[in-house]
Amino acid sequence: MRAAVFRGIGQIEVTDVPTPEPGPGEVLIRVAYCGICGSDLEAFLTGMYEPGLIIGHEFAGTIAAVGPDVSLWRVGDPVVVGDLIPCWQCRSCRNGFPDACESIYMVGVTHDGGMAEYVKVPAVGLHRLPEGVSLRQGALVEPLSVALHGVRRSRLRPGDRALVMGAGTIGLLTLQCARLAGARTLIVTEVDPPRAALASRLGATAVLDPVRENLSVALSDLTDGLGPDIIFVCAGAPEPFAEAISLVRKGGQVFLLGLPIQPVETDFFSVVMGEICIDGSFAGRAETAAAIDFIAQGRVDVESLISHEIPLDEGVAEWFSRLTAPGSGAVKVLVKISGDS
Amino acid sequence: MKLASLEYLEEVKRRSNADPQYLELAKGNNESYTLVLEAEPAKGVNETVVIGFDNVDGKMNEVWVGRRPTQFTLTAPYGVWVDILRGKIGATQAIASRKLKTQGPFLQLLQGANRIIRWVEILRTIPTEFEGDYAQYNLPGA
Repeated sequence: MRAAVFRGIGQIEVTDVPTPEPGPGEVLIRVAYCGICGSDLEAFLTGMYEPGLIIGHEFAGTIAAVGPDVSLWRVGDPVVVGDLIPCWQCRSCRNGFPDACESIYMVGVTHDGGMAEYVKVPAVGLHRLPEGVSLRQGALVEPLSVALHGVRRSRLRPGDRALVMGAGTIGLLTLQCARLAGARTLIVTEVDPPRAALASRLGATAVLDPVRENLSVALSDLTDGLGPDIIFVCAGAPEPFAEAISLVRKGGQVFLLGLPIQPVETDFFSVVMGEICIDGSFAGRAETAAAIDFIAQGRVDVESLISHEIPLDEGVAEWFSRLTAPGSGAVKVLVKISGDS
Repeated sequence: MKLASLEYLEEVKRRSNADPQYLELAKGNNESYTLVLEAEPAKGVNETVVIGFDNVDGKMNEVWVGRRPTQFTLTAPYGVWVDILRGKIGATQAIASRKLKTQGPFLQLLQGANRIIRWVEILRTIPTEFEGDYAQYNLPGA
């Protein structure tokens, strides 16, 4: 089968690899679509995946085969996979914190992923897509679960004024989740004009360009001089992580969803003096079912985020280079594999 | 050589500092590391072993057995270290799956992935004796 294989820093190769066979408790999925995620790009830049790994953790497809001891799933079922599959046996799992599992299984991160014609996964990680949710939309369930997990873990309360820094996929989904959670004012910062326009269309009260605007002054105007109650940092660049602490209101929260690939200097003096809470989260395992429901109900728009669709055999490596350079203009790039609907 | 003995560490240092590929990848690295090999009494590994080393511009400088303050601490059950040395699991995968617990600037560690991968390749060339049940996987060296 064809698959996108991580070879090391700056190297992705689409090549022939053996088609996996599902073992006990596993299923084989015929992949329809797989998204290129920000963390895949960061691995491309830093080398944080094991060389030889088939990448891809944002994918949807149909079950092509079931292994022994799998009874709840049938060939043809449309499915997605939760991004983090806990072992349920380690101390963290037994203590009720499976997201801190000491032996995690992450398809496309610790084990071969879905940017391939087929992928085998543990059946325990599967979620069925209902009628009305296409496989194309299903490829965005994982990033939506990440955004939803962040908003649910945050201190956001109905009536709060929130700022989302960065209007990439996670930022735009966080924007929509924060709106669903009752934020009354939703401000977005974004430098890329197409992304900024999309943020406005998806419900942002105001969109600010951090290169052209004085954010402190603009946010003061938009929040009665207080600053946002909560800031979601959904960027990869280091600047927003440092700026957020000076922009949030005293007693507010800075919630980190982006992964900065450079160290960030932090003004902890302001954190102490402002009694600012800093928190963060990654992955969205527990929110996968809710994410599917939100898409099924039409309460979160994922289609608008799909800016490009490319075939597996044409230009995947080039897109990794393009997406790691500034100003790509892309939001979510989907790799079309079987293209099943 | 017994895994994590001082003799073993000195051999690690000798081979690493003689490897041009490793030295190129490690150039400029001045980090210090503690490695904790946790006991597994059920597998015949009765004592936790703590070792460490530091790098000066990429070259392994001092190696030691025991506890000292270092920039990074990597901790795993003895068997995980054996699995890494046997090539059963990659070092990057062990970190990503949290089998190998890390303390220190995580991102800085990941950005050195290529250096770590080469370093593990060097370790695999050293004749290595494992403790307890893991003795069946002793490495012949190269």
